[in-house]
Amino acid sequence: MTAYILRRLWQMIPTLLGVILLVFFLFNWVGGDPAYVLAGKISNQEQIDNIRRQLGVDQPYYVQLGIFIKQVLTGNFGASWSTNETISHILATRLGPSLTVTVPLLILDTLIAIGLALAVAYVRGSLTDRMVMIVCTVGLSVSILVYIIVFQYVFAYKLGWFPVQGWGDSFWQNLVKYASLPILIGLAVSIAPDLRLFRTFVLDEINQDYVRTARAKGVGENRIMWVHVLRNASIPIITNVMAQLPGLLVGVFLIERFFSIPGIGREVILAVERSDFPVIKAITVYVAVATMVFNLLADLMYKAVDPRVQLK
Amino acid sequence: MFGRFAPLVRGFVASLALCVACAAAAAADPAKVYRIAFPTAETGFDPAKVSDLYSNEVNEAIFDRLLTYDWLARPAKIVPMVAESMPEVSADGKVYTFHLRKGVYFADDPAFKGKKRELVAQDFVYSFERIADPANRSPWAFIFEGRVVGLDEAVAAAKKSGRFDYDAPIAGLTAVDRYTLRITLTRTDYMFLYAAAHTTLCAVAREVIEAYANDTMAHPVGTGPYVLKEWVRGSRIVLEANPGFRGFTWDFAPSTQDADWDHKVIADMKGKAMPQIGRVEISIMDEDQSRWLAFQQQQLDTLNVPLGFIAKGISPDGKLLPDLAAKKIELFRGNDLDVTYSTFNFKDPVIGGYTPEKIALRRAIIMGYRDDEERRIVRKGQMRYIAMPVPPGVVGYDPNYVAVDHYDPVLANALLDHFGYRKGADGWRTLPDGKPLVIHYATGSSAIEREFSELWKRSMDDLGLRIEFDIAKFADHLKAAKACHLMMWGAAWIADWPDADNFMQLLYGPNTGQSNNGCYQSPAFDKLYEASTHLPTDSTERMKLFLDMARQMQVDGAWQVSGSRLRNQLLWPWVLGYKKHPILQAEWVYMDMAPRS
Repeated sequence: MTAYILRRLWQMIPTLLGVILLVFFLFNWVGGDPAYVLAGKISNQEQIDNIRRQLGVDQPYYVQLGIFIKQVLTGNFGASWSTNETISHILATRLGPSLTVTVPLLILDTLIAIGLALAVAYVRGSLTDRMVMIVCTVGLSVSILVYIIVFQYVFAYKLGWFPVQGWGDSFWQNLVKYASLPILIGLAVSIAPDLRLFRTFVLDEINQDYVRTARAKGVGENRIMWVHVLRNASIPIITNVMAQLPGLLVGVFLIERFFSIPGIGREVILAVERSDFPVIKAITVYVAVATMVFNLLADLMYKAVDPRVQLK
Repeated sequence: MFGRFAPLVRGFVASLALCVACAAAAAADPAKVYRIAFPTAETGFDPAKVSDLYSNEVNEAIFDRLLTYDWLARPAKIVPMVAESMPEVSADGKVYTFHLRKGVYFADDPAFKGKKRELVAQDFVYSFERIADPANRSPWAFIFEGRVVGLDEAVAAAKKSGRFDYDAPIAGLTAVDRYTLRITLTRTDYMFLYAAAHTTLCAVAREVIEAYANDTMAHPVGTGPYVLKEWVRGSRIVLEANPGFRGFTWDFAPSTQDADWDHKVIADMKGKAMPQIGRVEISIMDEDQSRWLAFQQQQLDTLNVPLGFIAKGISPDGKLLPDLAAKKIELFRGNDLDVTYSTFNFKDPVIGGYTPEKIALRRAIIMGYRDDEERRIVRKGQMRYIAMPVPPGVVGYDPNYVAVDHYDPVLANALLDHFGYRKGADGWRTLPDGKPLVIHYATGSSAIEREFSELWKRSMDDLGLRIEFDIAKFADHLKAAKACHLMMWGAAWIADWPDADNFMQLLYGPNTGQSNNGCYQSPAFDKLYEASTHLPTDSTERMKLFLDMARQMQVDGAWQVSGSRLRNQLLWPWVLGYKKHPILQAEWVYMDMAPRS
């Protein structure tokens, strides 16, 4: 097991290097020259050159790339070019609001989708199953933007059940008062595809011989579904859930913008608008590392869930 | 003078000053909370380093300038702020002497180590030097560049040594004594009065800047009416009335332009000790719908109606819709001090140049563009037509000026035919020498920019001119424009000060590569512009020069001017004394709040 983990960690290095190269060249190719915006409304070439020198973007590409690699290794990405706020402070302060929305959203989405998947798979082919699938298909076809606009208008403005927008200082106030509607919207968007996917995983298992055998032995339907079927269907479900985990770190930028949640997603959009490369590269690298780590965790969980899985 | 009683007298004066400060602080009621939204995140509150509109709005309430503007006068009129009176200006317009008020104090801060810190002339010297200091890469460095005697040399030395020497004397920037500031300019420049009223040219304290050198953006300490109480970056900004602020009495005369509104404002505000509002809460709301609904739910006290929601609030003739009026919501409507236009690159081989056929091509494009459709449809009626490249409310604007480039597609086609831009077999025009003629218009990818592109396409189709759109980020377009590589580009200019000079400098030849993004270099225009800079701002001869500049620009076909944007501000009835100033933004300094109903 240890050897496997070490090997996987070793394999992350070339992947991370690939991410660094991709981000670096993409930014330099399409990112725009920030010096021209930072120089203000009226500026001359000398002032622009001075800014480029201070930002280090006048250096040869290999020097800039070297600085970037050093930043990744030390975890110190410096400060935002436009606000001078340190990247570590940006991540520390914006991550909390994003996680306040995305963590409950992922937990609720997974639990609800699994429960409903088991239920509709159990009555597969029935009117209920077909109706649920139709609703899911329709739900999948609607853009998240529509959900946000309609839900914000109806539930927050017309019915007054939630605040239209806002964010406070208290975690519980944020979770209960401000994050409720964003989470509800997130659920409306994510349950439909997850339910359809998980239903397929469950249906793959429900027709297996071991289910028939369990029934023949008189095992109760609840135990068959929740213990035997769910355990065997859990590997693809775990894969799906783990794949969503890195997304928690970048938040849901549209929801954050509409509900004025000071999260990472909103920060990424701002950074792109401002060509704020230190913020962009820090968040990209963190998400890449998180993706690799969560993939490794997913593989380790397969082994825990199904002892037949061999880690090589 | 007072002999042995001098310490007693000084103590009395100090006590009196403190009492005045206490009175000002007492005027601001903590229960009066004014709530507004910014549509874009601020960047920070170091006046030398920020250039965005919203950071400057906050800075305006925290920091004081030498001069400011009369709140009601239109066109905007400069008045003293921490200067005792208007400056003494030498006959040649080169030397400005400001006498500062005594007893103006910075807000308390640990950087002052428990002592009251009075504002002195040296603070302005230091603050202005900070703007010029290359290490601060101030977006406002242009205000001083080549303008103050000795400052460029100090900047050059700083670039060489890597450090600006704030202790070295600069001949043109002198604190003559504790309360006298003398600025000596390199040339006659009457515009410096406006610069002295600009938000950026405010006073900061050296101790504060040095104490928070690593994060000056987060520690604004000024002498203004408000202090920064809370800041959640990109989310929430809370200001509270500065308890040490000297205060002032609301006493402004009505303007002739908005007399009815002004009389109402005066009735609500006259004689009140300011500031009245104790707390200002600013939320960053990126999305139009969020701001619109938050205002409807009374989470905001005022709202600049987003363009996408105009139809829900304002009738086509600019009146408030009945359902909003029934809630006693009020509408304040006025134009921003801006001009929206498209530039032509005069160095472009296809569209640039000063020969008759090139001028004809540009003027045909201008006359072929459906600018009225832009104002009515794309801008949803929220833009007013202006005949000259200067908006109303600006010194130099003449409502009687008549443009020579009205929409006239018949004349535009005739002009193109006359100068040999013939249509080929494919229906598209070619250059007089038969080479292909394709116009490249630089634009972005936002929804409104796509609407502009469609409008330009339809307009140019009418003329048989092929147009293509180059989509890129603003920074890339700006870089290309400064290098004179963009053929056409849509832009808007918001005034830094209410004078036509601020707009005409965009067309001044020597400003190519700086602010003249069309690289227009007309000797005739430049001569007129240079003549205007030597005249006092209120000179009638100068006004005539601006009209001549506008005419020259139009004759050459330098810009296609679309108009000046309108602002529709909705107010709940408990907002008292609101009026949008064309330059000042922190309106709450001059307002009051009645109890919410």
